[in-house]
Amino acid sequence: MSGHSIDLLVIGAGWSGLMAAYTAANAGLKVQVIAKGLGSMHWAAGSIDLFGYAPDAPDTPIHRPLEYVTGKLAKEQPQHPYALLGKDRLVAALDSFVALTHELGLSYGGAAQPGENLMLPTAVGAARPTYLAPQAQLGGDLGRSEPMVIVGFEGLRDFYPQLIAENLAKQGIQARAVLLPFDVLTDRRDSNTVQQAHGMDDPARRSRLISELKKLAKTGERIGLPPILGLDDHAAVLFDMQSQTGATVFEIATLPPSVPGMRLFKAWRNRLNKMGVRVDSNMEVVSAQSEPSSNGAGPSVHLVESATSARPMKHRAGGYVLATGGIMGGGFNSDHEGHVWETIFDLPLTTPQARSEWFNPVFINPAGHPVFSGGVAVNEAMQPLDGDGEVVYSNLWVAGDLLAHDNPILQRSLEGTAIATGFAAAKAAAAAS
Amino acid sequence: MKRIDTEILVIGGGATGTGVAWDAALRGYRVVLVERRDLTHGTTGRYHGLLHSGGRYVVKDPVSATECIHENRILRKTHTHCIEDTGGFFVVTPEDEGDYPDKFVAGCAATGVPCNEISLKEAMRREPLLNPRISRVFEVPDGSADSFLATHATAQAARMAGAQLLNYHQVTGLIIEGGDGEKRVVGAHVRDVARGEDLEIRAQMTISATGAWANVVAHMAGISISVIPGKGTMVAMNHRVLNTVVNRCKMPADGDIIVPVHTVAVIGTTDERVADPENLRIEPWEVQLMLEEGEKLVPGISRARVVRAWAGVRPLYQEDYAGSSRDATRKFALLDHKERHNIDGFITITGGKWTTFRLMAEKTVDMATSYLGERKPCITATSSVPGVDQGPYWLGHRLHEIEEKKLQGQLVCECELVTRSMLENAVRQNPTITLDDLRRDVRLGMGPCQGGWCTYRAVGIVHEMTVSETGHPAESGTAEWDVAYMQSPARNVSSSASAGAPAIPDDERALFNPNLLLRDFLQERWKGVTPILWGQQLKQERLDELIYLSVMNVDHLPDRDLSSPVTEFYRYDTTPNGNLEAPE
Ligand SMILES: Cc1cc2nc3c(=O)[nH]c(=O)nc-3n(C[C@H](O)[C@H](O)[C@H](O)COP(=O)(O)OP(=O)(O)OC[C@H]3O[C@@H](n4cnc5c(N)ncnc54)[C@H](O)[C@@H]3O)c2cc1C
Repeated sequence: MSGHSIDLLVIGAGWSGLMAAYTAANAGLKVQVIAKGLGSMHWAAGSIDLFGYAPDAPDTPIHRPLEYVTGKLAKEQPQHPYALLGKDRLVAALDSFVALTHELGLSYGGAAQPGENLMLPTAVGAARPTYLAPQAQLGGDLGRSEPMVIVGFEGLRDFYPQLIAENLAKQGIQARAVLLPFDVLTDRRDSNTVQQAHGMDDPARRSRLISELKKLAKTGERIGLPPILGLDDHAAVLFDMQSQTGATVFEIATLPPSVPGMRLFKAWRNRLNKMGVRVDSNMEVVSAQSEPSSNGAGPSVHLVESATSARPMKHRAGGYVLATGGIMGGGFNSDHEGHVWETIFDLPLTTPQARSEWFNPVFINPAGHPVFSGGVAVNEAMQPLDGDGEVVYSNLWVAGDLLAHDNPILQRSLEGTAIATGFAAAKAAAAAS
Repeated sequence: MKRIDTEILVIGGGATGTGVAWDAALRGYRVVLVERRDLTHGTTGRYHGLLHSGGRYVVKDPVSATECIHENRILRKTHTHCIEDTGGFFVVTPEDEGDYPDKFVAGCAATGVPCNEISLKEAMRREPLLNPRISRVFEVPDGSADSFLATHATAQAARMAGAQLLNYHQVTGLIIEGGDGEKRVVGAHVRDVARGEDLEIRAQMTISATGAWANVVAHMAGISISVIPGKGTMVAMNHRVLNTVVNRCKMPADGDIIVPVHTVAVIGTTDERVADPENLRIEPWEVQLMLEEGEKLVPGISRARVVRAWAGVRPLYQEDYAGSSRDATRKFALLDHKERHNIDGFITITGGKWTTFRLMAEKTVDMATSYLGERKPCITATSSVPGVDQGPYWLGHRLHEIEEKKLQGQLVCECELVTRSMLENAVRQNPTITLDDLRRDVRLGMGPCQGGWCTYRAVGIVHEMTVSETGHPAESGTAEWDVAYMQSPARNVSSSASAGAPAIPDDERALFNPNLLLRDFLQERWKGVTPILWGQQLKQERLDELIYLSVMNVDHLPDRDLSSPVTEFYRYDTTPNGNLEAPE
């Protein structure tokens, strides 16, 4: 291996960081993860968006995303991360992720027709394209025809069933809403979905809810709930709900913190620990030192330094995966003069360096806001490139929302690119070590 | 067509117009006020937040200074709960050389503005973040004032005195009778913009209190007055770095004052002539200048996070009338169109300051009285508006009430401590067409997350109210609930068990389309934040995009082809343009 006690240091514990760590550990590397905080997994819906809306047809969801990103998109945007990855690595990454979720007991699945996008209801009642979703969300698949009853709780501030049902109905989907008294869930008013979900881990609590649901669901109706079906014991809660009500019960993701994301993160992190991978999520990497090129290999990263409340620490590894998540994750910072920079290695960015070029005047805009499409340009091995197309550091790989030439929130490709590029970065690192 | 007859028609629902309606109603006139959007939509809702002591004007404009200190003392009694007694400092920084401080002291004495020089040590003890290189500090009775609340309280007082206030009613033309030399304004053509209906309001006296729009209304009478809109930009920092208003002790200029307002500190302002009072693009140099000037008062302030930048327009009035006149054209312009243009039944009041709105209203109604005939005398200086029993505003009041009444579980907006019942009551009692109205009513979405969470919650709640047969009326206060208390969590406690009055008046339900509310409010926020998005705030914005695009998919909701009638101005381009250097 690399001659270091750590072969690969992964910086960042979001989708791309965890996927890189998992893939590298599977390949036999000694891996460590350090991160400043928690990634977008704790904010978003917990499903895997592969590709939702094409730039030239922003109103119509992509029907067959895998085909699209490896076909039309790759041809039209050869620098897009999916184009760099190619179909084989993308499929392998998705397969590997799905296999992992089975092992974790938090299975993800897709549309009834393989290769197609699922359409799931959102917390405002829009239809959202996504590729893979946790089991508990699959019951909301709008491609299925059973009518739904959306159940909320009076005073639960992060879920509004009537709004959801009304908007679904406007789109021709049979849906009605029911508001249950809050005390069906708990007597604690100041709680969000995470606390409710945690409460459902308790069998007595959930049997109360189950008996209410049995009363209100009509035959053939599926039941949509906020994401409260357990936190640590999710599989059991979902099983009880469905078996005892006799109905399909599903969750609709809503405002952060993300219950589905937290479930996955916890299980995934435990799994990494069992594989011998340490995950430190309270360490901010603040700087790096490089080594000049030797025997033709080009410059490389020598070490990185982290700052904790206690004292600065140096971390040395054979290779490094940077997965700090762009503007959203804190991997990029910016100032009022219009500079945007990568915070650890100061890698070259494609982002416009002028505030007058960052935004569009209209928020909801199919063209997006240019500041969010910029990032680190990489080669097919996920190595960062400078303006001349030269690899910046021979032992550094980049993954996730840091990458240039896409706007993953706008395109609904955030988790898909993160998982696939995290996978590819780790594979490249493993091949190099 | 619907027709309303009244004695006095007031155009404009800012501080001035609302004050005129209050004063006139108290004197016994029948009054109707129309505002084209929400109350305080204009400059009143975009000002700096300072209750002037007059200190700013003692050298440059002594008459204004005297007016300010006079009104300052009155408003503390009539609008107690809208004012925070922060006190104010005038400080001499190393850049403020010369004899201005001495002139300032003399000016205060001459105009009656109380001024007391305190030691630097004492000033630093009270405001530890002040620039330590300051050489002298003068203390004056400045304050911080909430113009949203004050205007609503004044409006409520006007209603209680019999005035009728119609918001989302725009004057589209004046009704003029008579020909050459005999012209008379007898009312106005008005459009109910939310419902898309036209009506006619007939009045013996029409008073335009339209601020920077005064010339637009004057044009409807075929006359022109020289009111030029002057834009001022302010930036709000996410920390309340000061608890005292701090002014530079020098001739008033750009960026020379910081006002603590609720949870933030606001640096202001610039002053730029603009063509259109609605298009308030904030240029990067303006934000830059505010931060640089703010540094001179509080070193390090520019490294704090800017939560919002906004601009308001001053009506810059230029006298072009040479004849002798009994007009008052000092810092406010009270124009008697009978005397100036031989048009009867029409008065314009514009300019001035928020601090002097009551005085402006008094003078305006005095002038109307000279045409309509004497009624009761003006009593606004000694009447208080509803809500004053809450005592002076203090920063912790919301938190205190929420803790005392255990309302944490009701919070809809964690940044500004807005509870669900506050929101519901504001929707129910105060005509609400956009979520932005709720922002002005209860400060929804004004904090650091800029609506990231509360936008969804507010839409959900308003929607629940439109579909439910009965609402949850406020428990302690259905009867006595009053807009003057709309910012008080303790006065807005609901119980979900009770049933009662319809959630929203029937004729208003149709105005709520949740998808439009959501889209419009997101756009409104965007307009407010684009000038200051970088660093942490840019990251926050991206997280908000994640919520509203990825998780909610609001850009693919139904009703995409619909648009609200009153929100076109949200779509003005406010994205940064130009550079960081101020033009010469
Ligand atoms: C940047 C800035 C900072 C300021 N800071 C302070 C301060 O700290 N302290 C202070 O005391 N003063 C301050 N002022 C001054 C103060 O804000 C204004 O003097 C005051 O708000 C003016 O109120 P108004 O009612 O006259 O005008 P506005 O508030 O502008 O009201 C006019 C209203 O008329 C309505 N209207 C226009 N046309 C029509 C129509 N056709 N039909 C119906 N309605 C119509 C508009 O929608 C608007 O609501 C500041 C001003 C600016 C510009």
